[in-house]
Amino acid sequence: MTEQTSTKPTAATLSPTAKRSTGAAIALMVLLAAIFITPVAINDEFVYHIFITICIFAGLSTAWNIVGGYAGQLSLGHAIFYGIGAYAGIMLTNLGVSPWIGMFAGAGIAATVAVLISYPCFRLHGPFFALATIAFLEVFHQLALHFKGFTGGATGMMIPLNIGWEWMVFRERLPALIIAFGMMCFILAVAWWIRTHRLGFQLVATRERESAARAAGVGTVKVRLIAVAISAALTAMMGTFHGMYLTFIEPESAFSLTFSIQIAMFALIGGLGSVFGPLLGAVLLVPITEFARGALGAEAIGLHGFVYGAVLVLVVIFIPNGLMGLISPWFKGRDTSSKQAAAVEAPTEARAFTPPEPGEEVVRVKNLNKHFGGLHVTNDVSFTLREGEILGLIGPNGAGKTTLFNMISGFLDADSGTVEIKGLDGKWHSPKSPADFATLGVGRTFQIVQPFAAMTVEENIMVGAFHRYPNVEDARAAARRTAEKMGLAPYLNAEASSLTIGGLKRLEVARVMAMEPRVLLLDEVMAGINQADVRRAINLMLSIRDEGVSIIAIEHVMQAVMSLSDHVIVLSSGEVIAEGKPKSVVEDPQVIEAYLGKEFTHA
Amino acid sequence: MDVFLQVVVNGLLLGGLFAITSVGLTLIFGIVKVVNFAHGEFLMIGMYATYLITAQFGMHPYVALGAVVPILFVLGMLTQKLLIEPLMGARNHDIQIFATVGLSTALINLALLIFGANIYNTPDYSLRTSIEIGPVRMLVGQVVLFAVATALVIGLHLFLQRTQAGRGIRAVAQNRAAAQLMGINVSRVCMVTFGLGAACVGVAACLIAPLYPTSPGIGTYFVLISFVVVVLGGLGSIGGAFLGAMIIGLIDSLSGFYIGSDLREVAVFSVFLLILILRPQGLFGGRLNLSHES
Repeated sequence: MTEQTSTKPTAATLSPTAKRSTGAAIALMVLLAAIFITPVAINDEFVYHIFITICIFAGLSTAWNIVGGYAGQLSLGHAIFYGIGAYAGIMLTNLGVSPWIGMFAGAGIAATVAVLISYPCFRLHGPFFALATIAFLEVFHQLALHFKGFTGGATGMMIPLNIGWEWMVFRERLPALIIAFGMMCFILAVAWWIRTHRLGFQLVATRERESAARAAGVGTVKVRLIAVAISAALTAMMGTFHGMYLTFIEPESAFSLTFSIQIAMFALIGGLGSVFGPLLGAVLLVPITEFARGALGAEAIGLHGFVYGAVLVLVVIFIPNGLMGLISPWFKGRDTSSKQAAAVEAPTEARAFTPPEPGEEVVRVKNLNKHFGGLHVTNDVSFTLREGEILGLIGPNGAGKTTLFNMISGFLDADSGTVEIKGLDGKWHSPKSPADFATLGVGRTFQIVQPFAAMTVEENIMVGAFHRYPNVEDARAAARRTAEKMGLAPYLNAEASSLTIGGLKRLEVARVMAMEPRVLLLDEVMAGINQADVRRAINLMLSIRDEGVSIIAIEHVMQAVMSLSDHVIVLSSGEVIAEGKPKSVVEDPQVIEAYLGKEFTHA
Repeated sequence: MDVFLQVVVNGLLLGGLFAITSVGLTLIFGIVKVVNFAHGEFLMIGMYATYLITAQFGMHPYVALGAVVPILFVLGMLTQKLLIEPLMGARNHDIQIFATVGLSTALINLALLIFGANIYNTPDYSLRTSIEIGPVRMLVGQVVLFAVATALVIGLHLFLQRTQAGRGIRAVAQNRAAAQLMGINVSRVCMVTFGLGAACVGVAACLIAPLYPTSPGIGTYFVLISFVVVVLGGLGSIGGAFLGAMIIGLIDSLSGFYIGSDLREVAVFSVFLLILILRPQGLFGGRLNLSHES
């Protein structure tokens, strides 16, 4: 289905970025070649300087984008890692160690520092994360000024002028360009690899909807720590080179907030979260400002900063997706609209229902209690779920159904009581986190749908599929199989945010199904969808059960509860007030009272 | 003992300074829900304006209030109308950060372009004269600053709690859609609030200018501390910001004296990070806070 999006059939099996036709690939190659060849051809000191600066900023900004763009953690403290790299390189050079080694030492230290700093800060979002990174940067800045014996304090540090490849210091500019260009390409390659593999999908999913990503088995803290470590290491390596290129370093410029902002700025202007956006941002902005600086000199102090700031403001207001957002539609195939019409019509007749033999127990919930302040939202709830069973969980609004779900999927800790899941090994486990539950094969949906809005339908489902298939192509194949089953195949390349509510509910289920769960927790998947979709959903649930998946479903649609459930539990004010076969439960006076009020019980 | 007393008084006076720079920031955050990274640059603009008015026309810096405060009020309203409001509906909310970061960068560099990197000293009209009360010395300007900061905090608090306009503003903070349904012009309330926040910084600028030299980077210095104060006090809480400012003033002063003056900021930012990570709602969040989860 993607063959049409690209001119070359083989591109269909490549990652999403590569799918955007070979046109984009050619444009990129031309751009990269131009960055390298232009200065060599012109052979002018100043032009060399501009292009080396482009490579440095494009590299730094691309590295920043791994955290700021993919993971959505807007760091304004990346100068910390740059400074660490620069200082490590220069200090070791002064000790007679080649910066090529210093580069890796700096990268190692930066990655460690990044993990230590970020672990506590990742609970902060948006502006607060940015503020925390600024504060850390300020602390590093002041400490670098304070420990004069170590860093040289405010006077800074020079490098001994040992010339040659070994020392990364040259008389000519060409070798410096070669190194800067090589490092930039390396960073671009790393960023591209991440974006097109499991890590990238998980990062974007975490950015878009953290809880949905956790439900899909993504270790949201772990993937972001990996991302920040890689980003910091790459930033430090570029820092080492930049330090050697400038032959001088001081805390004022190494741990500078302005510098941090600049790094982020190129990525934002180019296109936050896109692989090659930061490169584009640097290519377009660095020459303008360097020319301004070169041509106007001291008179124009502040001019380049003013241009940066003004461009940033304009981009944020008028093209929030950055330059890549502007140009990528040219390269993207537009086949989705025509396909949408050809949606596969699933049979809408309700299937005949045959109660299956109850299997062995897979979920055991015992004496679960939960208080929210003075409110006893879950009061001594116990039940079991058997293999291949559909358990209906009903009750009036506020009965504590979703709270119960949160406790049996690891999103909420119970005050007391146990939740046990039987693993494939036949032993009983007591998982704690959503990731543990996912590992044991428990998947859940959310009452309020949580699509990863910036991803396509296929990519959304792939996030779930990655739980079983680490490899991109396997995950893609699994996602397509699932989409086929869910009737989402025609929408694979549509943005998730463009689906209707019925489509979103199916996507929610599809993402969980792609995890190939053994136990499925469905939270009101039928609420707010039309009758035809309800019948379709009923058939879907029956076919899921036929594959051996056990289901617990919270549902208000009585038609569905009655025709689907093997067993029904009625929850009211946090207590189980009735349970049994669907028929017997709905006739229970207590249940009628809970739903409709006392006067109806005598009716 | 006298030395300790002096250090504490210095800390509190410094707290007054931080309070007056932070109160506008916390107001804007509490109501408009925007972290204004350009807040420090508003202060810088106010200080340059005060300098120009005092140096050019020979006026007392406090008289400059009459011009600086309206200028900043309008600047704040324009920022809200032209920069923040168009971004309210953006898919990625965090992008607002970069709008104000961009504004901040542009303004700092505009100042560099116009005034150069030089430092300008606003004539102090003997506001830098020290007076002695018992064993402690303080500058006249600092005492005025402290008094005005206190009055401003109390005034704003009364305005928000007791007046109809204040209730409207708080309603917008609680629930924007509901406020709109009740007939409140949310767009105008946000604009006025942003203007008020900026006007507060205008007051701060006139009072700080005679005490501190004016430079393009002056705003960055103060705004970083203001962020600390605002987070410490519970974002959006005006009373909290005042108490937070006093605490940070004391930490600054005490650590500067007992640990080393170049490590003051390290102490302040370490406290900030601890609060941000361990108690992100701030020390006084929940009690004084007028910004509820949105």
